[in-house]
Amino acid sequence: MFIRNYLIPRLLQYFLVIFLGITIVFFIPRMAPTNPVERTIAEIRSRGTYLDPAYVQQMVDALTEMYGLSGSWLQQYKDFWVRLSTGDFGVSFFQFPTPVMTLIKRALPWTVGLLFTTTVFSWLFGNIVGGIAGYAHNRRWSKLLDGIMMFIRPIPYYVFALGLLILFGYVYRKFPIAGGASIGRTPSFTLSYILDVLRHAFLPATSLAVLGAASWFQTSKLIVQNVNAEDFVQYAQLGGVKESRIIFRYIIRNAMLPQITNLALSLGQILSGALITEIVFSYPGLGNLLYSAISTGDYNLIMGIISLSIVAITTLVLIVDLVYPLFDPRIRYK
Amino acid sequence: MQDGDVVLRTDNLRAHYVLDIPGGQKVVRAVDGVSLQIRRNEIYGIAGESGCGKTTLMKTLYAAINRPLRLVSGSVLYAKDGQELDVYALRKRELRGLRWRYMAYVPQGAMSIFNPVMKIKETYRDFLSSHLKGKTAAEMFEIAKDHIDKLGLPISILEAYPHQLSGGMRQRVAIALAALLRPSVIFADEPTTALDVVVQRGVVQLLKDIQADLHNTIILVTHDMGIHANVTDRLAIMYAGRIIEEAPTVEIFRNPLHPYTQFLINSLPQFGDAGQRVSAPGQPPSLADLPSGCAFHPRCPKAMPICRELRPDTIVIGEHRAACWLHAERGTAQDAAYS
Repeated sequence: MFIRNYLIPRLLQYFLVIFLGITIVFFIPRMAPTNPVERTIAEIRSRGTYLDPAYVQQMVDALTEMYGLSGSWLQQYKDFWVRLSTGDFGVSFFQFPTPVMTLIKRALPWTVGLLFTTTVFSWLFGNIVGGIAGYAHNRRWSKLLDGIMMFIRPIPYYVFALGLLILFGYVYRKFPIAGGASIGRTPSFTLSYILDVLRHAFLPATSLAVLGAASWFQTSKLIVQNVNAEDFVQYAQLGGVKESRIIFRYIIRNAMLPQITNLALSLGQILSGALITEIVFSYPGLGNLLYSAISTGDYNLIMGIISLSIVAITTLVLIVDLVYPLFDPRIRYK
Repeated sequence: MQDGDVVLRTDNLRAHYVLDIPGGQKVVRAVDGVSLQIRRNEIYGIAGESGCGKTTLMKTLYAAINRPLRLVSGSVLYAKDGQELDVYALRKRELRGLRWRYMAYVPQGAMSIFNPVMKIKETYRDFLSSHLKGKTAAEMFEIAKDHIDKLGLPISILEAYPHQLSGGMRQRVAIALAALLRPSVIFADEPTTALDVVVQRGVVQLLKDIQADLHNTIILVTHDMGIHANVTDRLAIMYAGRIIEEAPTVEIFRNPLHPYTQFLINSLPQFGDAGQRVSAPGQPPSLADLPSGCAFHPRCPKAMPICRELRPDTIVIGEHRAACWLHAERGTAQDAAYS
């Protein structure tokens, strides 16, 4: 019953969303004004190399062939799916001939390490502290905390990040201003290397965690305040039910429901990288990679990163859909 | 009336909503001088139109007032174990100890009073475990099962989530839950509102059964005079935060003294009479801005000059009490009778 009526249609929908998403990502860069072949030639010229006009056309043809851009869009599209079925996103145009997957694998640990930790930390912190503050919203400390968060929350992210960078990287020089680890160090599982990585991650992580926690705090506080006013909470209070039980089983249990969905969506977005963070702190993650891919018209690399992100988000949404009835009995598979 | 029979007594009880508004305060006089004596082993009805302060009175009696509602004057005294207990003088823990064991509450709108993510049996367990010590989960489940079964409700509801129950069933579950620990006083706020007549009958019967079994006091608030006629032993009519008339229910229906009560009763349809029913003209007054004198005078066809100036005292005529200048000469003033 469940498999035929719910799971199979839901899985079909899942694959359809991925298929459509990847298709759109295939065509959009091709409509963009940057032509990767021209960009490559311009790149070569900008290095001062003289190119004989007679050869330029030959080069254009050769590059078009190499990049897989010959033939109609439809032909390219077919070739793309054939390649993708073997797990191959092709080669990067601008770090030719490195395969796209190699570049992604290199950047992925940095981004996931940075974003997974900060997302989970700020979710936990924001929800727990925000929840308690929402329950005790008449207390002075709760109002004070709310005021602080209200001040932090609207700071534009890039201003906050740059501010941290200037203050602790330049004025006080406590933390490095760029990179994921010191230049020239080879990755290893030694304490000094890990400390080095943590030192580099500290400022970007702080910038993400502080603003993230402030935002989770505010949502969570608001949700808890609303749940607190619900009839079933008032009723349990009228009934003299123990306060700890009311807080955990009546308020937090119900306030958590929308926050679970939000957490899953935030985790799904990890794989598209933290664009501004990684640019501000020159962090070697997916966001930086995507930024350079877009600015140079590196179709294959764009495709690779965005496809990954599409798969990540749709998968997490699928998981939330499948497990949600465990949290909320009102939701049914149908 | 013998004092030993009285289970709940209030004297000139006032509870106001004090709201901070730009440039000062707004005071909503939802309960404005209520003196009551409610007896053991009776169903006491409180009637009145929407916005007259019925629910606020119930909350004040149940000692469940939260800001901006404030107790302004008076006290709420319960007779418990031969002593009078002032609920507003109790500490938080002592008050919590009274809840459900001594007094229970059936709130308005049973549609949303159960935690949507918990089965009914878990709600039962929470209420039981908060008031009974040293019982295992299995024992508490047995108590809940016996209780539900004895009241004639299907045991399967314990395994249901609230959204799987009908409105009438949820209301009955709420009433059953209130009777769980055999309390001396049960407050039921509009338990039949939003239910159709057939379901109303079931709910009313359940209340009556519980009262007949426990011989306790049920305080029933509803604007439905038909329910009052069927269920209550004594009836109070509330208008603009005050009790304007109180008597045994039969007596009120036979001989209403206050013009407002007369309107309420005359608006009920009767067999064989197809004529238009007449209701009180106009709208109930705003509790934040009450008329001078008797609050009913702007709508009263029998208003006299004195009604605009002075608020009528409650006078006592036998078992009948009324606050109306029309009857001021006929009985003794309330203070003499109630002190």
